[in-house]
Amino acid sequence: MPTVVIAPALARWLDPAPGINVGERSVEVSGGTVREVLDALFAQYPVLRGYVVDERGALRHHVVAFLNGAAITDKTTLSEPVDENGELYLFQALSGG
Amino acid sequence: MSDRLLVSTRKGLFALARGGGGWKVDGVSFPGENVTLAHTDPAGGWYAALNLGHFGAKLKFSPDRGKTWEDRAAPAYPEGETFAAADGKPPSPATLKLIWALESGDSSQNGHLWAGTLPGGLFRSDDGGQSWKLVRGLWDRPERAKWFGGGADFPGIHSICVDPRNPRTLRIAVSCGGAWITEDDGATWENVGQGMFAEYMPPEGRMDLAIQDPHMMVQCCAQPDHLWIQHHNGVFRSTDGARTFESVPNVQPSVFGFGVAVHPREPGTAWFVPAVKDERRVPVEAKLVVSRTRDGGRTFEVLRNGLPQENCYDIVYRHALAIDESGDRLAFGSTTGGLWTTDNQGDRWTQVPVRLAPIHAIKFVA
Repeated sequence: MPTVVIAPALARWLDPAPGINVGERSVEVSGGTVREVLDALFAQYPVLRGYVVDERGALRHHVVAFLNGAAITDKTTLSEPVDENGELYLFQALSGG
Repeated sequence: MSDRLLVSTRKGLFALARGGGGWKVDGVSFPGENVTLAHTDPAGGWYAALNLGHFGAKLKFSPDRGKTWEDRAAPAYPEGETFAAADGKPPSPATLKLIWALESGDSSQNGHLWAGTLPGGLFRSDDGGQSWKLVRGLWDRPERAKWFGGGADFPGIHSICVDPRNPRTLRIAVSCGGAWITEDDGATWENVGQGMFAEYMPPEGRMDLAIQDPHMMVQCCAQPDHLWIQHHNGVFRSTDGARTFESVPNVQPSVFGFGVAVHPREPGTAWFVPAVKDERRVPVEAKLVVSRTRDGGRTFEVLRNGLPQENCYDIVYRHALAIDESGDRLAFGSTTGGLWTTDNQGDRWTQVPVRLAPIHAIKFVA
């Protein structure tokens, strides 16, 4: 199954009032596209949905998803295929200094 | 008097308590996070609105005064809704940008909340923020097409006044979208506020009700037809439930500002924190003062006892000036993290000995 790696800055919000020094989290989920993989992730961790995508289901402006080491380019429909051993890495976009 | 304060800052939610030695920090929630607003409900629950930047606007709830927190749903705009500001920016999908106002509705209905947001949606919850519905009666009004942002890219609802005589009557204020009233629990709305004027508009549009920029609107609890507005272009007062406003031109040292507080039982007594108008937004002559009227705006006293009177560049945001139920105790916080309180309506101010991050909002806890 594909693997989703959730960066620490995002994984910490699995706790409603997070502390510091929270590590990244790795989850195996099913799905053949980025959208399907994310939906499977949100089924396990419902609170993550609002942190990763907006009301329209598009990846948030300042959230980045790397699929097998390359940034996905379709942040709206999330239609890129994910293979059986694919790795989707979710993290915050770098912005500011 | 209320002995507890919630201070929402760029770097966390600070609970302060007043004891024998004065005000002290009693607890910190969400340290390091951008907490934009706090609200307390009639049952004693605390709500905190966060704006996490990368991850969007969030809502949290604490049943035990900040010891523990639970996730609540953030208001969500329905699928297919778009937003187009009247200032020419291209349309975009309507998505939540900020929770800018939180108020409890009917106190007999536990969990009844109203939320004002950017980009201009009013939301209602009947289950303590577990779920929200967009108030379509307001969102679908054609005048909303005239709304635009003031200091932000999007218009926003920052003031929600629930009428203590009848919680089905709400008055709200929008930057920049004027003042609105509903008398049927949000089903239908009327754009009110005759008398406000907008110098930032072309001459023919300056009296348009739907483009006014009230920075903050407050209502006297004991006489709810009496409201005050600190507007972008001055101070305005209503004595007829926000249907009409009169300009109050003689606020000293300036009519520009963001926050306003009204005494809970004396509708003619109100406080403002003036600043140089709007290109600069710093205290007049770099001296921090509070301006108080006790006669409905005919005259003002400039209160400076205990406030910095040189080299001061603190600005007070619209939600960062608060009054408690006694009407004697006030507090305000600044963009540079200063926090001041008074127990005598501003005759003397005391700075709380803390150095906080920029303060977004102040709330007394009953």
